Amino acid sequence: MSAFGHVLEHYVLVATLIFGIGCVGFLVRRNVLVQLMSIELMLNAVNLALVAYDREQGAGSTGQTFAFFVIAVAAAEVAVGLAIILAFYRLRGTVDGDVADTLRH
Amino acid sequence: MNLLFGLSPFLAVGVGALLLMLAEAFGKPNVAPGVETTDAGAGRAGELALGAAVILVIGAVLSVAVWVAGPESLPELTQVAPHLVIDKFTLFFSFTLCVGGALAALLAGGYLPEHGIDRSEFFPLLLLSTVGAMALSAAGDLLTLFVALETMSLGVYSLIGLRRGSPRAAEAALKYFLLGSFAAAIMLFGLALLYGATGHTDLAGIGAAVRSIGSPGSTVSAGKILISLVLVLVGLAFKVSAVPFHQWTPDAYEGAPTPAATYMAVAVKSAAFAVLLRVLLVGFGDERLASWGAGWPPALAVLAVLSMTVANLVAGRQESVKRMLAYSSIAHAGYALVGVVAAMRSPEAVSAVAFYLLAYTVSTAGAFGALILCGSRGAEAVSYEDLAGVGKRHPAAALAFSLFLFSLAGLPPTAGFFGKLYVFRTAIDSGLYTLAILGLVNSVIGAYYYLRVMVYLYMREPAPGAPRAVTMRSGFVATALVAAAIFVLLLGMAPGFTLDMASGAALTAR
Repeated sequence: MSAFGHVLEHYVLVATLIFGIGCVGFLVRRNVLVQLMSIELMLNAVNLALVAYDREQGAGSTGQTFAFFVIAVAAAEVAVGLAIILAFYRLRGTVDGDVADTLRH
Repeated sequence: MNLLFGLSPFLAVGVGALLLMLAEAFGKPNVAPGVETTDAGAGRAGELALGAAVILVIGAVLSVAVWVAGPESLPELTQVAPHLVIDKFTLFFSFTLCVGGALAALLAGGYLPEHGIDRSEFFPLLLLSTVGAMALSAAGDLLTLFVALETMSLGVYSLIGLRRGSPRAAEAALKYFLLGSFAAAIMLFGLALLYGATGHTDLAGIGAAVRSIGSPGSTVSAGKILISLVLVLVGLAFKVSAVPFHQWTPDAYEGAPTPAATYMAVAVKSAAFAVLLRVLLVGFGDERLASWGAGWPPALAVLAVLSMTVANLVAGRQESVKRMLAYSSIAHAGYALVGVVAAMRSPEAVSAVAFYLLAYTVSTAGAFGALILCGSRGAEAVSYEDLAGVGKRHPAAALAFSLFLFSLAGLPPTAGFFGKLYVFRTAIDSGLYTLAILGLVNSVIGAYYYLRVMVYLYMREPAPGAPRAVTMRSGFVATALVAAAIFVLLLGMAPGFTLDMASGAALTAR
């Protein structure tokens, strides 16, 4: 383990906290835009963890490469997600997730 | 050259998707004279569906070709490993995925014009999503796994929301998108922890690191491995729609255009099972994690029992046939999970699951196709009532519907019968008697709601004055149904050949 070792746990702790905040935000909030932001928070927490672990591993930069891919994928996800939310807003006039209840048997 | 040949199934579908996108953008819209349109794809769903189906059939044929040539005899393929692992397991699944995608494309060729959804981007999206699904079945590295999973899912999110004027479609897409991205983020955190704990992103390296736990000098933390296993399982259980991660399934299937629902039911599920098998057997194949007493098998066994039981009980109470088929797909995920649990002990279980998913793909695509055929513009067949008397009005559609329902119920001489037989037999061979018996009991319960459709098809008359579904005519849907029926009967009457191929596809756990 490198000299980075004892700091690593702090980064991972922060990443876990941010991930937890995103998780709770997704589950508690009913505004779909806020839910989308919470998902982004979770993805960025993962990026922090990946980069911290990459530093610890030393050789290679697998973790950093992984983080870049996550950033790119997250951007694509937001593009599709916002389009879907926009379509929903145009039809229903609100971004409240509780309104989405027409699909019940 | 050999490298290109080995990757040809992926390249064919990927390049085909791009060509199709260009064809869609630069073609001439096919609309009645005098109608103004800015959409170059307007009115061309038919030709694009044909193009998409041909590309996917080429992908399936190339998968078979690489299989026959033998991926072991192509040493160049190690250049793309571990990011893409081209082995017989991958090729079997990419064949299944191409077949499922081609059937969905054909169904869309009939469905989209009939119901006035003039959105030709359906087909490039379908192909790109299939490339993601194929890459997912080949993923031997966490990075490819994540990117492929998202490539597949992003395409599907858009396919669901294709009917832009429909609040139900927007709602279905919204629900699936939010829950899907949430599950993907949870799984991604698990992948990051796995990388942190083992220092590897390739599944083989992770497997070796997990095996080293407890040996002197190993710094791998067992706690982190367990947490990441749980997170990855949650993410993948969502994608295969196992209870209790299934709530999105009926809503998404109901709101989506039926061909998109077909694609989700067959391709997304098969690809998710492929990656589930590979991650569990290669990455978490260590005895301490893959035994009946600890690790993932007991957790998956609970999911399997819940999926079969809950889905079967709820499916019987549905009024909408589309929702019933959605719950049926959840129940089938449960049966396939029984096979995944058995895979901890026997490699044959992997082949049984692969065969099961091929049988499930053709039966489900056929059942959705028959449902499409029973409706037409403004009168889509949705509820059981809509199907009343179709047996008299359109015997061919009713006959096809019955065949696919037989197969889904697991009655001989259809593909579904042998699929279930092999999965339950490997479960019994592995000593999982309880799981096998629960699976059999559930198959019997499941037969109830499949047969209920047939009762409506043949024994009920539509209530006088009730709006009745008028069957549509479409060469595309008919072709898809005939192709699916041939598969169902072929796998049901002569399963030996395909089963031999499937047994070549086995992954070895340890």
